[in-house]
Amino acid sequence: MIKKKLLGLALSSMMVLSLAACGGSSGGADKSSAAADSSQSGGEGGKITVAIWDNGQKPGLQEIINDFTAETGYQVDLQVISWDAYWTLLEAGASGGDMPDVFWMHSNESQKYMENDILMDLTDKIKASDKLEMDKFPEDVKELYVSDGKTYAIPKDVDTIALWYNKTMFDEAGLAYPDENWTWDDYYDAAVKLTKPDGSQFGTAMNPSNNQDGWYNIVYSMGGKVISDDKKKSGMDDPNTIKAMEFVDKLRKDAMPDATVMSETGTDVLLQSGKIAMLPQGSWMVAPFKENEYLVANCDVAVLPKDATTGKRVSLYNGLGWAANAGTKNPEAAWKLIEWFSTKDNQEKQAKLGVTMAAYEGVSDLWKNNTDKFNLEPYLTMLNDSDLVIRPHSRATVVWENKNTANLVEAWSNKVSIDEACKKAASDMNELLSQE
Amino acid sequence: MNKSRMTPRQKSELRWGWAFMFPTVLGLLVLNIYPTFRTIYQSFFKTGDFGKGNKFVGFGNYIKLFQGTEIWQAIINTFKYAIVEVPFSIAIALVLAVFLNGKIKGRGIYRTVFFLPMVAAPAAVAMVWRWLYNSEFGLINNIFHLKVNWISDPNLAVYSIAIIGIWSIIGYNMILFISGLQEIPSDYYEASSLDGASGIHQFFNITIPLLSPTIFFVSITRVIGGFMVFDLIYMVMDRDNPALPKTRSLVFLFYQYAFRNQDKGMGAAVVVILLLIIIIITALQMLAQKKWVHYN
Amino acid sequence: MKLNKLLIHVILIMVSITMIVPFAWMALTAFKTVTESTSVNPFTIFPAKWITSNFTEVINNMDFMKLYLNTLLLIVGRVFFAVMTSTIAGYALARLDFPGKTVCFGLVLFQMMVPSQIFIIPQYLMVSKLGMLDTIFALIFPGLVSAFGTFLLRQTFMSLPRDLEEAARIDGCNIGQTFLLIMMPLVRSGMIALGIFTAVFAYKDLMWPMIVNKNVMPLSAALAKMQGQYTNNYPQLMAASLLACIPMIILYLIFQKQFVEGIATSGGKL
Repeated sequence: MIKKKLLGLALSSMMVLSLAACGGSSGGADKSSAAADSSQSGGEGGKITVAIWDNGQKPGLQEIINDFTAETGYQVDLQVISWDAYWTLLEAGASGGDMPDVFWMHSNESQKYMENDILMDLTDKIKASDKLEMDKFPEDVKELYVSDGKTYAIPKDVDTIALWYNKTMFDEAGLAYPDENWTWDDYYDAAVKLTKPDGSQFGTAMNPSNNQDGWYNIVYSMGGKVISDDKKKSGMDDPNTIKAMEFVDKLRKDAMPDATVMSETGTDVLLQSGKIAMLPQGSWMVAPFKENEYLVANCDVAVLPKDATTGKRVSLYNGLGWAANAGTKNPEAAWKLIEWFSTKDNQEKQAKLGVTMAAYEGVSDLWKNNTDKFNLEPYLTMLNDSDLVIRPHSRATVVWENKNTANLVEAWSNKVSIDEACKKAASDMNELLSQE
Repeated sequence: MNKSRMTPRQKSELRWGWAFMFPTVLGLLVLNIYPTFRTIYQSFFKTGDFGKGNKFVGFGNYIKLFQGTEIWQAIINTFKYAIVEVPFSIAIALVLAVFLNGKIKGRGIYRTVFFLPMVAAPAAVAMVWRWLYNSEFGLINNIFHLKVNWISDPNLAVYSIAIIGIWSIIGYNMILFISGLQEIPSDYYEASSLDGASGIHQFFNITIPLLSPTIFFVSITRVIGGFMVFDLIYMVMDRDNPALPKTRSLVFLFYQYAFRNQDKGMGAAVVVILLLIIIIITALQMLAQKKWVHYN
Repeated sequence: MKLNKLLIHVILIMVSITMIVPFAWMALTAFKTVTESTSVNPFTIFPAKWITSNFTEVINNMDFMKLYLNTLLLIVGRVFFAVMTSTIAGYALARLDFPGKTVCFGLVLFQMMVPSQIFIIPQYLMVSKLGMLDTIFALIFPGLVSAFGTFLLRQTFMSLPRDLEEAARIDGCNIGQTFLLIMMPLVRSGMIALGIFTAVFAYKDLMWPMIVNKNVMPLSAALAKMQGQYTNNYPQLMAASLLACIPMIILYLIFQKQFVEGIATSGGKL
């Protein structure tokens, strides 16, 4: 009997809730229309939406946006959406739906968006602006967001690669820490010495998909390339590329865990678990790494080695851009916000708040002070005093990048030689490039 | 059929039938069937960006697909997955449902426990199983002192993933079976118990035949679900995993073409192939049902 | 008989353990530090120190009342529409004879055979054209009808004895009355099963809410948004995932009692 009553109670409360549902949703609609009214009556102010995909950067960017609202009166709604949903949303928006007003652009996708006039053309606005100093932004990153001579996004940040190493393991092996004199051969020697025969510790680790934060750096440092300058041909069969990949392969055989272990576990987890002594890693990983007690206690950062033959020390780099929706209802506010993000002051602020390194020349010195847990100077050395190579890209970067990974996995699992894998990668990539 | 020749009963069934079907049919047409036909249409085009500038290529996408090896491998992988996941998840769930339909201590607790995997976030499920399976550091290998590459051995990985599939779907099948068992009148069992029939005898002679409409439903939907496997593989298998080519399912391949490579036309062609395979299998099941499904 | 019962319990307990181990692992991870959670060497099962900050951080970052309300509205809306439309359509397919029935059933099956990813963008564009983005309606929209549910209820109706309807018809009930008064109460467990599935799947869908809505978010999608791009903050992911499970488990506990009720009613009447 009591059971019956409880059941009745549950059911009737469901009914009440379903009634509340109607009230609730219409209440929501009222609220949003009220918000729209107030924004219109707000005179020069208006509400714009901003979309990003990295939750870690939200607090810092929100602070910069708050200043913007205080300064201009425009209300800004900053939204974080996960990576997959982000691109689906933009695609849906570009195919005829609603889009955020201001959002991040990535070099993997930018070409398609620029060619189809989805993004607001910023060229004239940049020229007319008295706040922007476009010559202070890195040329390569600016190029990523230029199509047909028109600029569609302004660089937001840059990233570089540096070498993380486990001090404790170096001490234990009686080896000197990596420094700016290291060549890749020194790296190899140290990696072999740091590899224990019982399989409990390895010199380093690298997966085929660790391209920008892995083998690309070695390839370019040894004089090889991944794609030709005109983006029409693969560089995977370039003799220097093959030489570099043979070096990587030797490293893999002598000083890395088994390929299955690296692929199942991930190289960053291996570093965090004290399984490997050295790992090249991108500046974007600093934020999560500084939360890791093991890394804080044992690890530090050095510059990447240079190549003995070419003498080149190379870091790959890449940068996001701020772009606006071409069809935004509030172009004025959208542009002002992008301009705001791109001024020296706010680029400085972005670096200082530790959001990321900033694209603006020279301001990233402030970024290295965002934590005292690691010495981040090497990332800046890579940025300022090494040969920077922009992340290889073409119109459909992701397609051949994934193909390269798949081809290299074959070599990593010892099914084909690295030489064959590179040549196969080159021919596959050439075919894909010819279809772009 | 001529309206005037219909009996009043037929007329009334026609009116009520369509009135009852109307919301569902309308909803399906707008929400699902229209996008599906657009996809089929798209499979004959080399698609441009954002649905603009499509070029008609006839069967070009299909020819390209079948000339490659990926599609064949994906079909094999999908079959392997479904062949393990579907029968095991159905059989286990059926036995559990029968146990839990009887008067047994702790019934509510068991039912809740089996339901748990259904509510877990897919990302969390994938992360946990990756740890359990990890060849070097995983719980399974460490506890049983094994050295098995559960998810990176190309011959094994697809089955390891099928085990996760079984784990996550048992609760689903079980709920359906329990709800089906509710409809079986208890006097059938009482009568046969008086005749001295054993539990196993009852299971095969009463439960299975009377539950057959539900079993049929579960097998149709699970076969379809099994052929649609994607999330698990996507989240468990990294791009660097040497077993990826041997686990990539058809929907994964569709996702890779349509979303990663932005080639909607090729993606659509994969969907059409998947659709054809599922239609054939479902049609076979529909034909076979006459042999074993008993409706009142 | 005693031995049988024991054997059954042994089997059930073994399966339960298999079910719970991954879950227990999630729970344990939720109490670990990030460092501990990704450490494989040494491999730790129990956290060295049980920390609750993962939960508090998740909770402090969200407006739980609002999220629970949105979630509830989403679930109630989807369950209401799916169960209502599926039950009537399922009855029509199972028991009524009318021209076009085969085609209707074909449509239902056909819908289930297509990967759901292809629906996202077209459905988004529909909601956008309706001007309903960022509303509860947008969340409910893809679930207004359910092919799965229609098929499920069709099967359930088909397993019921025919003589009941005949009796009702002789008593002068029309089809609507027969359905409402006689047949619908008998498929209650099917409707509940559908309700549970609809709720669970509506709740677990992360992509759709993130795309159509900016502010009106259900709990699970809001939790998923908290994941950074590069951060493998597994403890927080697990804490969030566990918190997200709780309302679903409560809902399930409420409804699974109905199964027990179901035995009594359907068994008694027949």
